[in-house]
Amino acid sequence: MAEQYDVIVVGAGFGGPVAAKKCADSGLHTIMLERAKIPGEKVVSGLVIPVYGFLFGPAFIREGNPPIERPIRSVMNRFVKNGEVYASDHSLRLPAPFTVGYSTYCKPFCTWLADRAVDSGVELRTATTAVDVIKENGSVQGVITDKGEELRSKIVIDAGGTQNNLSLKAGIRQKFVPEAIELYMIWDFEMAKNDVDSVFGNSMEFFHAMPEERIGAPLGYGSTLYFFTYRDSIHPGLGQFLLTEGKISNVAKLLREYFDNFTTKVRRWREDIAPKVKLRAITWDVCPIYAGLIREMREMPYFGDGMLIIGDAAGFESAAFGDGVPSAWFSAEIAAGVALEAIKAGDTSKSFLKRYEDRVKVDSFIMHTITDTRRWDMREILKSRSENELKKRIRDHWGIGAFRYKYMGGPCLKAAGRSIKNAPGIIVKWKEMFQRYYRNWENNSFDSLSTD
Amino acid sequence: MVKTFQDIPGVEWVEGTGNFITIDEEKCTGCGNCLKVCLAGCYEIVNKKARIRSMEKCMECGACWYSCEDGAIVFSWPAGGTGFRTNWG
Repeated sequence: MAEQYDVIVVGAGFGGPVAAKKCADSGLHTIMLERAKIPGEKVVSGLVIPVYGFLFGPAFIREGNPPIERPIRSVMNRFVKNGEVYASDHSLRLPAPFTVGYSTYCKPFCTWLADRAVDSGVELRTATTAVDVIKENGSVQGVITDKGEELRSKIVIDAGGTQNNLSLKAGIRQKFVPEAIELYMIWDFEMAKNDVDSVFGNSMEFFHAMPEERIGAPLGYGSTLYFFTYRDSIHPGLGQFLLTEGKISNVAKLLREYFDNFTTKVRRWREDIAPKVKLRAITWDVCPIYAGLIREMREMPYFGDGMLIIGDAAGFESAAFGDGVPSAWFSAEIAAGVALEAIKAGDTSKSFLKRYEDRVKVDSFIMHTITDTRRWDMREILKSRSENELKKRIRDHWGIGAFRYKYMGGPCLKAAGRSIKNAPGIIVKWKEMFQRYYRNWENNSFDSLSTD
Repeated sequence: MVKTFQDIPGVEWVEGTGNFITIDEEKCTGCGNCLKVCLAGCYEIVNKKARIRSMEKCMECGACWYSCEDGAIVFSWPAGGTGFRTNWG
């Protein structure tokens, strides 16, 4: 006899635990499957989670003490030519304790999230891969694990990340096209906290250049070389889309070449950073950064009979910034809410679950961020070759211009307005969060983890 | 059994993944896209067909699967608790 649950959540990354916790808090019998032995140890990302995820996402994160590596208060944009930084844009910076985001390693953060789900009564099964769905009369009724076990549920929430093919097996989605997919590589370096403080402060740093500099993908075809700063380490990375100017490029060779060029030619690295760091890890992964900019990908359904798909698995990746965590959190909360309504109504059909899509489509952030063309449009500079144009666009992308109403200003104002209308007390919670997160970081004191 | 490699520090591979990536030889046209995008050096071309050389450094990113325009590569997840893991992702 197969075990019966109300909800099976597949994946304990950033989105899965949020969905699972909300389901369990609502009284649903919920299980979460994770293929890694410890949540987050297979999640690879250069990660600064933008502050809007914390402000407008799940209350338990905002009101909790998750493990953060460094409050990021500003973005330093460096413009490089012939190995020299010839200009900088530091227009986006905030006074402490305010931040543009928080850096974190994926493993402790995902473990912290999964711990909160378990606290709420979620049954967590790690080292378990969901290999297929159970489908009856066209409807998803559960999953089959790699041990051959059948787990049945009224609803499956697919939070399996970019490459997850459970929703493909359910016949709901197709794999992303290579034009939507960026391959990125990350080098993690140990660096004494005092050195990170003096070299970077609480900034993350980007290096922008024309393509002939060869320290990053052609503009608009990848993630500019970035340095995410942690407590006592730094986390530089870069990426390029699998399809560049219409062809599958030799990305594996190019990414290593860009980083080699950067570390041998750029003075900022050679003199300010290299003498103080020691390589600790090299990782890579892909993510569907342009999924929302390619019509056939954007229009793929993210729900079906008995199934809701959230986060990266649904293609909810920010096309301008490349971050997926806030949209994973927002979509997780929406999905859990719809799952509860569907189970209460006794109707988990596609037509009932369409309300998930309806709500995602009016979310201030998800639709805006997946269709933001600022990064894609950088390609235009490959023709104009204008350095002034590059600086102007970077200011609008990673500088103070990012807060213009038509970019992130609009969604932030709308979300703030709605949050305050729903619960005016949230203003106090926001202030407390900024202060508490900063204090936690200064004291290096966070909630303990189940893995400690 | 856990394996590590000097050229990819900070990552461990737990054995027992099973064949989670397979190539359909009938469909493969030997275009080499999989080689171009694989940072782990998993692929080689033999007699104008892609072949898996070694999966031991695979980080399960699926770039090969996305880049295979012939639909010859089939990608699924390794068995639970196996494959790569890192503290520094």
